[in-house]
Amino acid sequence: MNDGLINQIGICIERGKVNKASPYPGDMVGEDGSDELTRKALSDGIGPDLILQACNSGMQRIGERFSRNEVFVPELLMAAKSMNAVMAHLKPYFQTGTVKAKGKFVIGTVAGDLHDIGKNLVSMVVEGNGWEVIDLGVDVKMSKFVDAVKANPGCIVGLSALLTTTMTNMSKTVQEIKAQFPDTVVIVGGAPLTSITAERMKADGYAPDPQGAVAFLNKVSMSWKNEIIA
Amino acid sequence: MSNSDQLIYKEQDACEVKINFEKLVIDKNEIGISLGYSAGKTPSYFMNMIDEVVEKLSLYCKPRGGYKIFNIDSPRIKPDGIYINNTFYKMDKIITGQIKKSEKVAVFVCTIGSAMELWSKELFSQGNPMLGYIVDTVASAAIESTADYLHNIIGNVMLNEELKITNRYSPGYCNWSVTDQHLLFSLLPENFCGISLSESALMLPIKSISGVIGIGRNVKKMKYICDKCGVQDCTYRPYFLAMNKRRHFKIKV
Repeated sequence: MNDGLINQIGICIERGKVNKASPYPGDMVGEDGSDELTRKALSDGIGPDLILQACNSGMQRIGERFSRNEVFVPELLMAAKSMNAVMAHLKPYFQTGTVKAKGKFVIGTVAGDLHDIGKNLVSMVVEGNGWEVIDLGVDVKMSKFVDAVKANPGCIVGLSALLTTTMTNMSKTVQEIKAQFPDTVVIVGGAPLTSITAERMKADGYAPDPQGAVAFLNKVSMSWKNEIIA
Repeated sequence: MSNSDQLIYKEQDACEVKINFEKLVIDKNEIGISLGYSAGKTPSYFMNMIDEVVEKLSLYCKPRGGYKIFNIDSPRIKPDGIYINNTFYKMDKIITGQIKKSEKVAVFVCTIGSAMELWSKELFSQGNPMLGYIVDTVASAAIESTADYLHNIIGNVMLNEELKITNRYSPGYCNWSVTDQHLLFSLLPENFCGISLSESALMLPIKSISGVIGIGRNVKKMKYICDKCGVQDCTYRPYFLAMNKRRHFKIKV
């Protein structure tokens, strides 16, 4: 019975079904969404870690479909929205430490650039994948990124830019973070970037889209876990 | 309507022209394609959102645009750029190759105003990112259409002088440094068409386009070909492959 409920939450995440009132997706109209099912699961005594695991599986599946070009940003956004409905219920458990986020992800649009849609999309999808996101906003100065790394040891940093001019600022920011915190992992993304430019600015990773960022973060998180086990 | 009817005002030889909102072409199918879907395959839930946004577009989209014509200084075109008003604009051969036969150049700017971006931001902050994303995508289509409209007006004006025009090219694309925005904007009256430039060369309102169009007796508009550019993993390349159209740039998230 519990397995069925857990699986159903995962399906709601994958399909982007937020709640009963949501008309999306069309073939699930009138059915409970992740919101109602999570409430029910918690009241049935299902552990929040199991719910989170189901959510991550759902996000993983939609992410894989995104990578295969079977779905696009809109479906990914709906999945993230559905995931956020779950996270609203799980928030108290994160606060008490009953469940733990996969890690901290500090993100911001670099100085000189005011574009935030791409950054917001990445934030939502990353958060939906079980990471704690610290969003520094737009036009973020180098010193603010450095302060955020200082305040959040072990975090991964994501730098976003839409303008080619701000790529210079992005490069300087990567260098400054690396100079002060050589072990901090930095990932970059945005329309003017390519894997080549990311490599040139000595970033650890490049994400062409939100799911690319999640895949990178999960890979880093996994390698950290393996190091601990070893 | 004659071309002079389209003139709103002229200042320092820069002409702001009337951009008729009703004439903007917003193709919902193309919006679906820019979201990632094949033509006609956008899921109905998202298509309904596109309909909803396009229906309200006239309330939020306030297109403005204008241009100023300059003679290209001698030497007209070098392989690595052009001289306009005694200033050298370093450009890639992707652009100079297309405009090398130009005698004049139109420096243009256009915008749809800031209401769409504010609407999108509001939706994101209200927890409706899907609709916010659609608003932003529709806004991108609207500014592209505004630039197309202005491009046609400039083409018609030049046709009266028996001159032809080229494609449009913008700083930040085709290896033309976006820092040249400052030089380009210095050729136009301050706050022309309500557009200003930040220190980092960001146009405000964000949904704005600036650039140059070559003018001459022996120039022509070419089909834009992405494979002339060396950036293989460019964000825009899949879109243009899907569209298989002549457009040479598109604003995206």
